[in-house]
Amino acid sequence: MDAADRCEQIISLLTLSSCLPVSPSLLQPTPVILLKEGTDTSQGIPQLISNINACQVIAEAVRTTLGPRGMDKLMVDSRGKATISNDGATILKLLDVVHPAAKTLVDIARSQDAEVGDGTTSVTLLAAEFLKQLKSYVEEGLHPQTIIRAFRTATNLAVSKIKEIAVSVKKDDKQEQRELLEKCAATALNSKLIAGQKEFFSKMVVDAVMSLEELMSLKMIGIKKVQGGALEESQLVSGVAFKKTFSYAGFEMQPKRYENPKIALLNVELELKAEKDNAEVRVKSVEACGGSIQTSVGAMTDDVLGQCELFEEVQVGGERYNFFKGCPKAKTCTIILRGGAEQFTEETERSLHDAIMIVRRAIKNDSVVAGGGAIEMELSKYLRDYSRTIPGKQQLLIGAYAKALEIIPRQLCDNAGFDATNILNKLRAKHAQGGMWYGVDINNEDIADNFVACVWEPSIVRINALTAASEAACLILSVDETIKNPRSTMDGPPGGAGRGRGRGRPHAH
Amino acid sequence: MALHVPKAPGFAQMLKDGAKHFSGLEEAVFRNIRACKELSQTTRTAYGPNGMNKMVINHLEKLFVTNDAATILRELEVQHPAAKMIVMASHMQEQEVGDGTNFVLVFAGALLELAEELLRMGLSVSEVIEGYEKACKKTLEILSDCVCSSAKNLHNINEAKSLIRTAVMSKQYGNEDFLANLIAEACVSIFPESGNFNVDNVRVCKILGCGVTASSMLHGMVFKKEAEGDVTSVKEAKIAVFSCPFDCMVTETKGTVLINNAQELMDFSKGEEDLMEANVKAIKEAGATVVVTGGKVADMALHYANKYKLMVVRLNSKWDLRRLCKTVGAVALPKMMAPTPDEMGHCDSVYLTEVGDTQVVVFKHDKEDGVISTVVIRGSTDNLMDDIERAVDDGVNTFKVLVRDKRLVPGGGATEIELAKQITSYGESCPGLDQYSIKKFAEAFEALPRALAENSGVKGSELISKLYSAHHEGNKNMGFDIESDGPAVKDMLEASILDPYLVKYWGIKLATNAAITVLRVDQIIMAKAAGGPKAPKQRGHWDKDGWDEEPDNFETHH
Repeated sequence: MDAADRCEQIISLLTLSSCLPVSPSLLQPTPVILLKEGTDTSQGIPQLISNINACQVIAEAVRTTLGPRGMDKLMVDSRGKATISNDGATILKLLDVVHPAAKTLVDIARSQDAEVGDGTTSVTLLAAEFLKQLKSYVEEGLHPQTIIRAFRTATNLAVSKIKEIAVSVKKDDKQEQRELLEKCAATALNSKLIAGQKEFFSKMVVDAVMSLEELMSLKMIGIKKVQGGALEESQLVSGVAFKKTFSYAGFEMQPKRYENPKIALLNVELELKAEKDNAEVRVKSVEACGGSIQTSVGAMTDDVLGQCELFEEVQVGGERYNFFKGCPKAKTCTIILRGGAEQFTEETERSLHDAIMIVRRAIKNDSVVAGGGAIEMELSKYLRDYSRTIPGKQQLLIGAYAKALEIIPRQLCDNAGFDATNILNKLRAKHAQGGMWYGVDINNEDIADNFVACVWEPSIVRINALTAASEAACLILSVDETIKNPRSTMDGPPGGAGRGRGRGRPHAH
Repeated sequence: MALHVPKAPGFAQMLKDGAKHFSGLEEAVFRNIRACKELSQTTRTAYGPNGMNKMVINHLEKLFVTNDAATILRELEVQHPAAKMIVMASHMQEQEVGDGTNFVLVFAGALLELAEELLRMGLSVSEVIEGYEKACKKTLEILSDCVCSSAKNLHNINEAKSLIRTAVMSKQYGNEDFLANLIAEACVSIFPESGNFNVDNVRVCKILGCGVTASSMLHGMVFKKEAEGDVTSVKEAKIAVFSCPFDCMVTETKGTVLINNAQELMDFSKGEEDLMEANVKAIKEAGATVVVTGGKVADMALHYANKYKLMVVRLNSKWDLRRLCKTVGAVALPKMMAPTPDEMGHCDSVYLTEVGDTQVVVFKHDKEDGVISTVVIRGSTDNLMDDIERAVDDGVNTFKVLVRDKRLVPGGGATEIELAKQITSYGESCPGLDQYSIKKFAEAFEALPRALAENSGVKGSELISKLYSAHHEGNKNMGFDIESDGPAVKDMLEASILDPYLVKYWGIKLATNAAITVLRVDQIIMAKAAGGPKAPKQRGHWDKDGWDEEPDNFETHH
């Protein structure tokens, strides 16, 4: 909460300071009022620097959440709702950033969330670090467009390098693919609150995603949260599970367990149809059973009835739950999460969402790279070597890009309380000797071959993070002026006296 | 006119209390000029490939990051009456050719700045105006001599690409080759042999995520919608389009149904169901596999659609619906009924897919000569995608302009310097006092290569002297080499940096007109703004003409 509060304060400060009013020329007795009253404009290098500073502040807010030893943030919104998270996108969303340039960082975190679902903290950090490395060049008066060109080149090189060195796993080998997926999921979960149960959950997540059809629609995985119980009591239902809602009198007499039932999925009430369908949708995820939703009670034929192996009603925590298990056309599944505090289960849900997204991406793109800063170090080395082969300003700038990439392993070390400089030195040496996959070993305060250690990430996560971060950095660099119109309100500015030019000027002659 | 115009004694007394009134050179003309100059200073740094972006936050707190002058001005809400005239000129340019809006602003600003010098020198306003008008006329004559090449075959993708590239370059420097390729493909595929090109037929769909280079282009349309029913993919689709909701007909009048007994009650809803089933069945039997509706989809109708394996897509915008009709060649039916084979559209494949985490429905033609093509823009932030969309707009508009007039002039300041050179010598042949203003008009052209140079961090004067010397040697196509580090020049024709003739033609014409109009004003009378609450503004925009009247054209890419 402290961090968030402080951050908001700094941000609001930044907002004010970055919007300097037009300085009226001294020669003019009255300034020419060109724009609407209250419009702020600011221009030039100071504006650029101020934008870069704003982005640093944002990155500070999420910096400490990176990696397995990252800390969580507790945020309380205006309505007093508390959220605990270490998901970069979630934190930034809740921060409610107003600074226009800093908003860009929030946007890329969102974009990363949309595209790959994980790595939102790293993308923010990378973008901020790119800007930090460039700040001195901007101050020295290097033209931003030159920087942007160098960065685009560097990003293209880095992305093609990732594609070149990524290890792809054959899809045909089911066993191998599964292992790959579980490792990717475990890496994603490693940095989350539920890292302790990562084997348990990574298996569950992979099972869940594997049970989906080709389109892998996220909606087909339901996540239900039931308070109470231990995390390990969470379970995966291959089918549909939902909280029992309303049922008719006499239901209690009915058996609670059916084997191979036929299911009629009704969108209406099971009684004589009244004049108005004020029916409640009582069965939501109906597609699973292969039955179509029936809106009418008539025409109840075999082909519209669904089937499943088992229907039962079970007590889960304080709730009665209905389970439909083993559906023949099962393309859906439900994860029932157990856990203590509400915030805890919510964060678990977010973590699982990230893991699910990672697994989905990994199924679509079956190439992986080693995590734990290994890929960043390798790219950094590659770009540094490359930069030495070219002349001119580009050399410095690509070198800066390479240096900025080191922020990921550095931050991992910092968060774990290691001596970052020492570890980075070891890593640089190892990579120079050709140890391509060496990254930070969080458990032993050392470096390790993270590919062997099975810290794997889908390469698409890193590709997207690099592209998004450099696009954002370029966008921020390309802005040299901010013009802010006053917010229009319904009643407008008080009176009309201030409108037009020459306000308050005594009439001459 | 140049002298102070004596006012009727107590002129202010004749006006309502609070009205303001300015007249004469000092009060009106110079102040107007200063306002316009300030405005063009703002957009000047955004000119050219190395121009910087502006962050504009409009009155609704929406953020724009762009170097597109038209967008900056639209969101700025310029208040000053004289500056507004220049803004209007740039809007006209936007409507006429769709590109070169910044050219108008920078040029008009330069014209006014130089006019101030002339006026301070002692020339009268009318002499300045006369000179400008003469020079403008002469410029437009000379401009046709500057034409260095012309588009030969716009159906050729490679040629179209090289022509669009220059326009895209000034918006998205660094991505120009990639984007120009997409735009060229999109434009060429919908450019019919008859030569009638409609800008509206190139659609843009923005989906958050990944990077710019993941953008793509396809023949057909993309909607950010989900399929309503169970069917998510249809090949060789026959498409029935309904402009009405996919529901049973509701009568306009209210009726009362009297139900006497239980049997009738049961039959009542059953009759409704049967009717719906018959309807859906009829649509299916007519051969349709995809139903597109402009309204709601009733649960009941959806149920039968699933039963008969019809894919249902719902589009909320009637413009989208019309465009889709055009794409697939369907006729929108106003009523739920079975379509005839003629009324149904055809599409090679209709499918639901996931881009990033957005679900989209794609109507895709395999063949090249579709009616509508779509550019799918990817990007890491919304602002970035908006800016790319504007670049695509400019590219498409350039293509349209080239369809109208195939002539091209060299870019990169080459045309401007050539014009400046020739107008200067023309001015020297004029005997009257307008000679001064003609020469200043020529000088105003220097503002454009100067802006290009200064935005790239190169000394403007150094570049201009280099350009002049190159042009005096007879190299008409020499322009600023933006790739080099210093003030270097190169042949723009060889580098294929070319601007359409019409863009320059209208740009010069509109900018001159605007500058002259501003100069002509010598008196400003402003009534006191009415007090009380302001009337709610329509879409928050003062320039109602042109922006609102054609929602179809303006709202093209949403």
